[in-house]
Amino acid sequence: MAVQPIWIGDKMKTEVIPKIIRNMFSKPITTRFPYESNPIPDGYRGEHSFDIDKCRSCSLCSKICPNRAIQMVEVPAEYKDKYPKKYPKIDLGKCCFCALCQDICPSGAIKLTKNFFLSTFDSSDVIKDPIPTKEKNA
Amino acid sequence: MIKKEIIDKIKKKFEVEGSIQRERRVTVKIAPDKLVELCKFIKNLGFEHLSSLSVTDWPKRGIYEHTYHAWSYKDKILITIKTEINRDKPEIDSVYPVWGESAQIHEREMHELFGVEYKGNPDLSPLFLEEWHEKPPFKKDFDWREYVRKNFYNKENERERIYFEEV
Amino acid sequence: MELEAIGKNEYELFFGPAHPGSGNFSVKLKIDGERIVSARADPGYLHRGFEKLMEYRLPIQNAVLSDRICVLEALAWNLIHAEAVEELMGIEVPERAKYIRTIIAELSRIQSHLIWYGVLSIGTGFDTGFKLAFGYRDFILDLFELITGGRVYPTGYICPGGVRRDLPESAKERIPKVLDKIKKMIDFVKAENPANIARLRDIGVLKIEDAIRLGATGPVIRASGLKTDVRKDEPYEVYDRFDFEIPIGKEGDAYARFQICLEEMEQSVKIIQQALKSLPDGDFIDKRFSKLKPNMRIPEGEVYVRNEVARGEAGIYMVSNGGTNPYRVKIRGPSFLHLIPILEFLLRDAQIADVPAIYWSLNGCPADMDR
Repeated sequence: MAVQPIWIGDKMKTEVIPKIIRNMFSKPITTRFPYESNPIPDGYRGEHSFDIDKCRSCSLCSKICPNRAIQMVEVPAEYKDKYPKKYPKIDLGKCCFCALCQDICPSGAIKLTKNFFLSTFDSSDVIKDPIPTKEKNA
Repeated sequence: MIKKEIIDKIKKKFEVEGSIQRERRVTVKIAPDKLVELCKFIKNLGFEHLSSLSVTDWPKRGIYEHTYHAWSYKDKILITIKTEINRDKPEIDSVYPVWGESAQIHEREMHELFGVEYKGNPDLSPLFLEEWHEKPPFKKDFDWREYVRKNFYNKENERERIYFEEV
Repeated sequence: MELEAIGKNEYELFFGPAHPGSGNFSVKLKIDGERIVSARADPGYLHRGFEKLMEYRLPIQNAVLSDRICVLEALAWNLIHAEAVEELMGIEVPERAKYIRTIIAELSRIQSHLIWYGVLSIGTGFDTGFKLAFGYRDFILDLFELITGGRVYPTGYICPGGVRRDLPESAKERIPKVLDKIKKMIDFVKAENPANIARLRDIGVLKIEDAIRLGATGPVIRASGLKTDVRKDEPYEVYDRFDFEIPIGKEGDAYARFQICLEEMEQSVKIIQQALKSLPDGDFIDKRFSKLKPNMRIPEGEVYVRNEVARGEAGIYMVSNGGTNPYRVKIRGPSFLHLIPILEFLLRDAQIADVPAIYWSLNGCPADMDR
């Protein structure tokens, strides 16, 4: 079918050129990450934080996790007299960040923070022990 | 009421009782050798759209239960038809002559996953799985954990141990 | 793409899974010059076995799994799975939760239609449409991050019994501003574009008798002339209280499907504006489910639920025999019928240059074809 050419001479003067001039002097819409960033809302599901003094060792978080990312282990020997029971060890490589462990914990020991800078070159950083033993090099 | 009329018409011709579950849902049970006749009868009543068909495996009763769901655009009712066939030698007539290609593609999937033979279906070639030599994978006695442990488990990887050995 | 000569004048072309924009799905074409003689679909690259995976998990864990059935409209599949479990267990959902679920499901439909518009534009050469669509979709993803906690995967926000968190106060002011921006964009792209007309008119014509026999549902069958929509035939949640229309086409070609995409977005904006005005107060989850319990039993029975997702009609058939996990789950996805029988039927006697226009105007998602 024949397509008619459209004559846009008037539109150039009334719409296109004023728009170009307006765009030259307005604020850019890009956010220069990582020097500045958009605000992250509350309730964002990021990395876990574990408070060992509130934990009751009920192991409900281990039973509800859909991917079996939480295992109950014992702490190293020097803390054993203060914390005699078993505590959760989280494997972030298997986690899907669904926050079911935060909803089911009866004392609020596991919470999800707003941190999402989790990529790393060292594959043993992925496993989080209940008491952090290794000091990370900067 | 339209649901009552449909159940009475089916009872007059085929002598089976239907039941009403809730608004817009009617269920009928029938023997497998009268299945295609019943499907042609309800297609003439207005049930032109085959929504889905599926197979349920009951190993204790020794049967495969087939379920067909059909929707009528005119009267806005969904009818469910159920039949039962033997589990060790599963064969049934295909409903391709009634509902066309939309039935043929569902039966091709059920043939691959449960092992049912459909007599009269023009094309039953494999759909999702390639070069699969074990028994049909969705049966209740296919042990998928053994299959994964034999073919894919790497004993040196510590993070995989939690899935195969009880801790 | 690989070519092989087969004796006569015919070549076999593999329109393969690594093609940009075809997703994880491939089609084998037999071509003669520039005309396609026959086509054969080759599914199975994304088969994960959802129906068997769901037999080994609790209903709340299945709600986390259900948003990976089709990533592009994760919240709509959350909703249909929650409805199936609630009908089996006989649960009554509170009023405020029903309104929140409807608002979120319609936002998910707008965002999925924006992807459809963007991918169809870039397939036929209109690059600006792709950039506009994905730029405006970002505003909706920021809204999802505020309400559910994640941009793309809401991980079971709509769970059996209600919703997992309440709607925050700042969301009620932000949603109307986002809807105004989207309305301005739709008015801008609705103008008649001669490039679109030349590429899409009279391509991939599907008549109404063929559409019913091949199993089409959703926008594909509405473009061919049949007036049907699950939200009006079998209302679920609170759709029967709102006033909206169903756009219908006449010719059944790719241009009619493209116009329905834009008009459905306008109707969704109308529904959300009406729902926000009459949002009631109250609980957001049923009392029995506000604390998670891993040992709840599902009573015996079976149920079949139908919903209208952005791509067509979705269905879940769930059987339970009294345990804590479901006994059998069958998932009926709309793309299973759109991409295998209908695509093979439409590609016969077409030109090679029309393959992108036909394939992307059907709006198929390879993830909910394979499950």
